Amino acid sequence: MTPALELHEVTAGYRRQDVLCGLSLTVAEGEWVALLGPNGAGKSTLFRVLTGLHPAAAGTLRLFGRDLRAIRPAERARLVAVVPQELATPMAFTVEELVTLGRLSVLSRWARPVAADRRIMERAMAYTDVLELRDRPYDELSGGEQQRVAIALALAQEPRLILLDEPTAHLDINHRLDILQLIERLNVERKLTVLFISHDLNLAAEFCGRLVLLDHGRIVADGPPAAVLREDLLREVYHCDLRVRPDAAGTPVVAPERKPRRIPPEQTVRVHVICGGGSGTELLRHLRLAGHQVTCGVLNAGDSDARAAAALDAELALEEPFSPIGAAALDRARQLAAGASAVVLCDVPFGPGNVVNLTLAEEALARGARVLINRHQLDRRDFTPGREALPRLTSLFARGALPWLRLDEVLAQLAAGRPPPKSAG
Amino acid sequence: MRKSWIPWLLLAVAPLVLGGALLIGPTPVALLDPHTALGRAVLLLRLNRVGAGFAVGAALAGAGVVLQALLRNPLAEPYVLGVSSGAALGAALAIFFGLTTLGALVLPASAFALGLATMALVYALGSHHGAPSLYGLLLSGVIVSAVASSLLMLLISLAPVEGLHSITWWMLGNLQSASGPLLAGCVALMAIAGGGVWLFARELDALTLGREMAHHLGARPGLVVGLGLAGATLLTAAAVALAGLIGFVGLVVPHVMRSLIGPAHRRLLPTAALVGGLLLVLCDALARTVAAPLEVPVGVVTALLGGPFFIVVLRRRRKAGWVE
Repeated sequence: MTPALELHEVTAGYRRQDVLCGLSLTVAEGEWVALLGPNGAGKSTLFRVLTGLHPAAAGTLRLFGRDLRAIRPAERARLVAVVPQELATPMAFTVEELVTLGRLSVLSRWARPVAADRRIMERAMAYTDVLELRDRPYDELSGGEQQRVAIALALAQEPRLILLDEPTAHLDINHRLDILQLIERLNVERKLTVLFISHDLNLAAEFCGRLVLLDHGRIVADGPPAAVLREDLLREVYHCDLRVRPDAAGTPVVAPERKPRRIPPEQTVRVHVICGGGSGTELLRHLRLAGHQVTCGVLNAGDSDARAAAALDAELALEEPFSPIGAAALDRARQLAAGASAVVLCDVPFGPGNVVNLTLAEEALARGARVLINRHQLDRRDFTPGREALPRLTSLFARGALPWLRLDEVLAQLAAGRPPPKSAG
Repeated sequence: MRKSWIPWLLLAVAPLVLGGALLIGPTPVALLDPHTALGRAVLLLRLNRVGAGFAVGAALAGAGVVLQALLRNPLAEPYVLGVSSGAALGAALAIFFGLTTLGALVLPASAFALGLATMALVYALGSHHGAPSLYGLLLSGVIVSAVASSLLMLLISLAPVEGLHSITWWMLGNLQSASGPLLAGCVALMAIAGGGVWLFARELDALTLGREMAHHLGARPGLVVGLGLAGATLLTAAAVALAGLIGFVGLVVPHVMRSLIGPAHRRLLPTAALVGGLLLVLCDALARTVAAPLEVPVGVVTALLGGPFFIVVLRRRRKAGWVE
C-alpha cells in the first residue's frame, strides 16, 4: 500500500534560516501520528510544507504516492484537510454556511450544492455533533463547539489525511477529551490518516500509537510513546527536567520536575563541590538557586565547570589548564573545603591529574563533615594508572559517605542534615 | 434568525421605487406623455438617469462587498480606500486631454487604469509582509486619496474654462451627464465585473477565514484576491466614469444587508447590489427635488445620509454582522 505521506530529505525555511533540515518521514495510511516538540521546532512549518502553503527548498514530498507539486489545489483539498488552532472569520457565518466551504473544491460555481454534497455535509455535521447548531452563527458558539465545526468543515472535504494543528490548545480538559475521542473515531471508523501537532505530551501518548519528536527542524525520536517520552530525550529537547512514569495502564505520563525552592537563609549550608568537565554545572546551579554557599575545586582553568562556578560567584580553587593539580591549588581547595559542612563529588572521572581531589573528601569525612558521592558507574570512572581511585571511594563509602544519583537527592540530604536549631539548655 | 424572504421583498419593491423615481422631477408628470416628442425626450432623459443611478449604486455596493471580504476589513470601500479618487483622476485626465471623443469606453477605461494603479499602491502601502492590515489600508487610502484629489485640483486649475465645469462635477458626483453610449458601455463593464466576481462568491466566503484556510480548502487565494480586487476596481471605475465621486453607498449597504441576510456572498452580492441601486436612485430623486428647481449633486446627498448612518452602523458592528 502506498503511504499517505512520504517526505524525503525535505529542507524548508524562511529568508534567513532553514526551519526544516533534511527531514524524512513516512506515514502509512490509517496511522495516527502526533508531532511533538518545543516552540520553533518546525512543527507548523512542516504542516505548511505538507499542504503546499510553503515551498520546500529541497527534497521530495509525496501525498498518497503523488508528488505534491503535481497536485492541483482542488485535488489536494480532497486529499488533505487542515484543522487550524482557531478557525476565525470576522463575519457572522452560520455553521452550515461554513461547512459548505468544505465542498468548495467540488461545488459548481453556477449552482447550489447538489443532494450528494448536502449528504456529505450533513454526515460531517452529524459526526461532529453540530447538526443542531447548523443555523446558529458560528461566532456565538463556545470554544468546544467551534472546534467541532472546524473539524466538520475539514470532514466535508472528505479528505484521506487530516492535519490538526493543536486542535485542543484553547479548550478545557473535558472538551479536549471530547475532541480527541472524536478524532479517534475518525481514525478507527473512517480509516482517516491523522497527523496531529500537540503540546500536551500526555494526551498525545494516551491517544496516538506513534509519536514524532521534532527539535530544530530534525526528527529526534520517532516511535511508540514509551520510546519517545524518555527523560533524557525530553530534557535535551525541552531544556528542563521532566519526570516520566508509566500510569496504571502502562502509558508514560510526563510531569515537570519540581524546581527546588529557595530555603530560608538560616537553613543554608556551605558546600564544597568536586567536579569537572561539566559534571557539576547543574548541581552548582541548583545549589545556588537553593541559596547555599558554594565553593568548588580543584578545577583546571577553562574547564566548563570552572566557568559555570565563576558565573555563579562560587569561590574556586584553580590549577593551570591541562595541568595536574599541584600543591598550591590543593592547599587553596583545602582552605575552601575546611569551612564546608558537606563535600559533594560529582559524576567525574578520576585520573592521575585530579585524583588528589579525593583527599579533600577524605579529610572532610575525618573532620565529621558529610560527604556525598555520585555513584554512577563508579568502576568505569577510575583512570588512574594503579586504579587507586576506586578503592579510595569504596573506603569513603565504608566510613559513612553517602551515595547519590539525582540532584534532588543531594538537595534533600543537605536540607535533612542541616544543624539542628539551637535550643535553650 | 436570517430572513430569507428579504431579497424577494426587495425584488418586489424595486419596480415601484424605479417607477416612482421616473415620475419625480422638475417637469410636471403630465408632460411625460410618450406620444409627444417632448414627452419622449423627457422620459428618455429620466430613464437614462434612473438607469445610471441604479447601475452606479449597484456597482458601488458590489465593490464594497467584495473589498470588505477580500481585505477582511469592515471599513473597506472604494471611496475610503482612495480607489474612487484614483479612478476619478483617470477619468478627469481623459476629459482634460479630450480623449473622450474617441469612444464611449475611453472614460471607464482610463478610470479603470488609474483606479487599478491606486488599488495596487494602497494595497502595497497598507500591507506588512504581504498581509494588509486594517489601519494600514485606511491610512494609505486616505493618503493616496488626498494625493489623487490634489492632482485633480491641479487639473481643474489648469483646465480651460469649458472643461472646468465637467471636471468639477466629477468631484461632487452626479448622474446628470450620462449619455446613452457611455451608460450602455459602463453597464456592460459592470455586468461583466459583477458577474465574474459573483462566480467566486464561495472563494470570498473562504477568504474571510484567512488566506491559509482558503488555501487548505482548495481555493487559490492569490488568484482570487487579484481577480476580486480587479473586479471591484472595474466596478468602481465604471461607476466613477458614469457619475464621478459618490461615497458611502459601498460602505453602508453591504453592512446593512449583511446584518439582514447574512454574509454568504452568493446571496449577499446580488442583494447588496439591488439595494445599492435602489438607494442611489432614491438619493438622486431627493437631490433633484429637495432644492428644486436647483439640483444638489447626488454625492452630497449620499454623504449627508451615509455619514451619520455609518456611525450608527459602526457602533452596532457586532449586530451588523462583524465580530470584533
